[in-house]
Amino acid sequence: MTNPILQLPWPVLVLLLGLLVACLWLALVAARRMAGAVESGPDGMLPLLGGAAAQRSPLHDWDPRFKIAAILAFAFLVVSLRQPPLVAAALAVALMIIPLGRLPWSRPLRRIAAMNGFLAMFLVVMPLTAVVRPGDALIVFGGLESWPFNLRGLLLALTIVGKAWCVALLMEPLLATAPLGATLEGLARLGVPRRVGELLLIAHRYIHVFFDEQQRMRSGMVARAFRPDHRLDRMRDYGNFVGMLLVRSYERTHRVFEAMQARGYAGAMPGHYRFTANAADWLKTILLLAFGVGLLLADRLAGGGA
Amino acid sequence: MHRLARQQPLRQQGETLFSLRDVSYSYPQGRQALSGLSLDIMPGDRVAIVGQNGAGKSTLLRHLNGLLPVQSGELTYKGAGFDAEHLRRARLEIGLLFQDPDDQLFCNSVGEDVLFGPLNQGLELEEARLHADAALGAVGLLDKKQRPPHRLSYGQRKRAALAGLLAMAPEVLLLDEPTANLDPQQEELLLQRLKEYDGTLVIITHNLLFAYELCERAIVLDRGHIHHDYTLRELVSQRSALREHGLDFSFRFVEQALPEDRLPAVPPGAQDVGRDSTPAAQPIIELADYAYRYPDGTAALNGLSLTVHAGEKVAIVGENGAGKTTLVSCLMGLRRGRGLYRLAGESVTEKSRKENCRTVGLVFQDSADQLFCPSCFEEVAFGPRQQGLTKDEIAARTAAALRQAGLAGYEERVPLHLSGGERKRLALAAVLAMRPDILILDEPTAGLDPDGEERLLEIIRNLDVTLILVSHDLFFVRQLTNRTIVLHEGQLVQDYGTEAFFADANLTSLNQLDFTYRNRCGLEIMQLQHEHEHTHRHRHLHEHEHRHGELEHSHPHEHVHEHGHSYTHTHHSHDGDEAEHTHGHLPRGDKVHDHEHPGHKDEPHDHEH
Amino acid sequence: MHISDGVMPTSLALGSGAVSLAVAAWSSRATRAEDLPKVAVVAAAFFVAATVHVPLGPTSVHLLLPGLVGALLGPSAFLAIALGLVLQSLMFQFGGLTALGGNALLMGLPALACGLLFQLFRGGGAKRQMLVGGLCGGLGIVGSAIILALLLAFSGEDFLGVARLALAAHLPVVVIETLIAAFIVRFLHKVKPEMLEAPFTLKRDRP
Repeated sequence: MTNPILQLPWPVLVLLLGLLVACLWLALVAARRMAGAVESGPDGMLPLLGGAAAQRSPLHDWDPRFKIAAILAFAFLVVSLRQPPLVAAALAVALMIIPLGRLPWSRPLRRIAAMNGFLAMFLVVMPLTAVVRPGDALIVFGGLESWPFNLRGLLLALTIVGKAWCVALLMEPLLATAPLGATLEGLARLGVPRRVGELLLIAHRYIHVFFDEQQRMRSGMVARAFRPDHRLDRMRDYGNFVGMLLVRSYERTHRVFEAMQARGYAGAMPGHYRFTANAADWLKTILLLAFGVGLLLADRLAGGGA
Repeated sequence: MHRLARQQPLRQQGETLFSLRDVSYSYPQGRQALSGLSLDIMPGDRVAIVGQNGAGKSTLLRHLNGLLPVQSGELTYKGAGFDAEHLRRARLEIGLLFQDPDDQLFCNSVGEDVLFGPLNQGLELEEARLHADAALGAVGLLDKKQRPPHRLSYGQRKRAALAGLLAMAPEVLLLDEPTANLDPQQEELLLQRLKEYDGTLVIITHNLLFAYELCERAIVLDRGHIHHDYTLRELVSQRSALREHGLDFSFRFVEQALPEDRLPAVPPGAQDVGRDSTPAAQPIIELADYAYRYPDGTAALNGLSLTVHAGEKVAIVGENGAGKTTLVSCLMGLRRGRGLYRLAGESVTEKSRKENCRTVGLVFQDSADQLFCPSCFEEVAFGPRQQGLTKDEIAARTAAALRQAGLAGYEERVPLHLSGGERKRLALAAVLAMRPDILILDEPTAGLDPDGEERLLEIIRNLDVTLILVSHDLFFVRQLTNRTIVLHEGQLVQDYGTEAFFADANLTSLNQLDFTYRNRCGLEIMQLQHEHEHTHRHRHLHEHEHRHGELEHSHPHEHVHEHGHSYTHTHHSHDGDEAEHTHGHLPRGDKVHDHEHPGHKDEPHDHEH
Repeated sequence: MHISDGVMPTSLALGSGAVSLAVAAWSSRATRAEDLPKVAVVAAAFFVAATVHVPLGPTSVHLLLPGLVGALLGPSAFLAIALGLVLQSLMFQFGGLTALGGNALLMGLPALACGLLFQLFRGGGAKRQMLVGGLCGGLGIVGSAIILALLLAFSGEDFLGVARLALAAHLPVVVIETLIAAFIVRFLHKVKPEMLEAPFTLKRDRP
């Protein structure tokens, strides 16, 4: 087994660990603030899916059918990549798409922040647990010979982070450049059963209704001196709280269904989006897909050569 | 797309629109909701269905558009029963407005939702859009077309739901408690739209003032039966009938504010801030230059200053969006704005605001947001338990609070299964069990029936706390408070005695608190109900034992005599001075009426046999 | 816990996606057709229930409740979970786009198993339902953690360490979810017992 091994004195480890803890702490704070927005209310708001119909940009003008197909296919091509430089290239393209759609940066950044806890764990754990293969560069800190730090593991973790970020960045162009109904209608035209889109629309609408309900109920508990902690007593309160949330929504399901029937629902929602494709739609689709396929080819060829 | 124009309406066969014969319905759990109900509704009828909670009103309404199947008996719409095709087409011309607009707005934007009905009716997209836009325009929401429903206020959602029905140009509108939780302005707007509507109207409501403006006919349901079916005018004029069905809102007509002797020793109002130097005048709530801004940037409170002393009874009024609820949740400590907030002398900070619940208790507008336990005991014990009291103390406080709210014996009942009025009182008990010094009630009467309102009023009146009442309900404001604060766009614009508030003529123009139609109706009904006993000679038919010489017998006979009776009659003016009234009324025709008539037997009788 | 984008190799992502699609199709066929909109509304409720955070040591965990979804919805549970996950991914990026199939399997399969378990053993009494409900709540998490570990393990030998860690991290969650699921079932038994009978499921033995 011939592994290039880099010996480092232990103070470097302390330094690196300090840096890591600082990064993790920052990520945790970001995650807390994210979670805080969801959890602690009463003004936490859920993000809304779907954008306004009136806006114009190359992405807004893109026929939803083509846009969905192109971005979904591109996402799968990206997650198939293995070489870090090519993942970086894909990430760069994803970063360019956002200003192309005249989209604000806040939402994509929120998406990235939401994943960071999970990804940070990968960055820490992978270098320590990745299997040591012949040729892997290892860093061994003085005094900790049994815990070699595998650079290949770190690279692997970094590629995963890059790919996850890339897909996260693609979500806003996919969803925020047309009303949600139009996007799902486009999905239906691509062969996904129409029922799926309908159910997603209903679920999305009532997530917001129930979320507001949940926030008001939580305020009601806080106004009666409720403090979250994990004693057994509190678990019962949480159980009652979630139970009541479920009962209220269960009762609502019946009324919603009645309301649908009362306005003539007979198993299908009427669609009211019309799509027309032009040459520009084809061009954008082909460009994005060609780039994705190019990346994958380069990846596999380079991988074969290494 | 092969869409044709809207289908022709179903053809009317026979004279009645809806005809129910002996219709019964029981729910799967076994509760009998309708029993042997027969009813005819003619085209163009405007019907109010009233009755106590659980009388079967909603069940009846859900039969009228086939949401519930007829279990026994017969129901026809335009002469035919609801079989599959007839039902499908009938639903496209019968609109049902649900009580909770969120049940009805199931699409992700207001525009899509209003389009749902017309498209189901088979309209072309372009034509459907025209109808949808017209309907949205009629309810004043055209500019909110792209908005998701969850980013609208409650009143706007209610209007959007109505637009969804109006866009279908329905022949029949069924409305389930249309005014619940609406402020007076929204209620008036709804009233206008419904007055313009020229089809058949069936309304379930506890709000008889609203029904009085819209409907001619009243059907009183009681335990699944039709108890009365007469004109609305007749219904509201008979207090005994109203009371029997828990509908008596006449208690509202007692016109008096809190008696002066219950005013606290310290004169209320912002003008006495300077008197803080006297220790006795330490205010329990002190806000100075307080502001609150929502995360999305809208300012809800703008530099508001307010002082409340212990024992005061304060009303907060203002239009929707004036900042009332935000102010209340700041006082409660659920939110924290900028500026000075001192509670019982202690400054409220980000850390300490969670301790506000030791001093302040808040009863939410919607009881459902406050009740989440499987039994009433657990519900009321929740607060004291969180405060870390001993078991005995918790049990004692819970029992006391339940008793105070008139719910003794309810310990093991399930809160979810209680009636609206009981749930409101349970929420109140749950707050009272924490022994707050300050009690805040946010729209306590929203969605209650008159019976529930009256009981709640009685309980609150007897509480010994500093009271802050947020309400559109001027009757409650008048009955419970002696100081009124008017909020407008997040600022305090008036702070005066409740009597002065009622005398303030600028109110309507100032912040659209338009109560005029309620006052008008109220006055009218009050005159209808003006009922008291008076005595005068009159001739009428009656059956009594009487004597002709030796012969003693009993049969209906007519004669004139004087006796006291109560009779509902109208006065053209109502200036309060009983002596000034003339109590003449038309003879009651040949109706027999009962009355005590001592000594009648021996009076001379000289009629023919 | 979810798998994020870029962890599973494409073949595994597509494969798990195909399996989830097949199970979801079966699940929607096991639901009465007219009740599908109701399942969507209930899925929204579980989505919101999963935003409830319970404090755990210095941090907090959000509820997952796969076992309870199964207990309440029976075969429809998989469909509800799939809907919830799609929206969770679209709205928050929890669980990525390409890993949806894997995530649906790791939440949905334990839900189906727990649903079966609950309907078989729940009995009628409050105590027993609470016990079985709690058991389902705990087992649901155990099942999810095992499938998560398996998916990671199949993603390559480099991920074995992460898989072991993920299993260990789920242990405290199991305790919390067991307790909360038991209390939820207790609440439902008292307040709305018909919710415990998989109300949207097509009953095959019906006439």
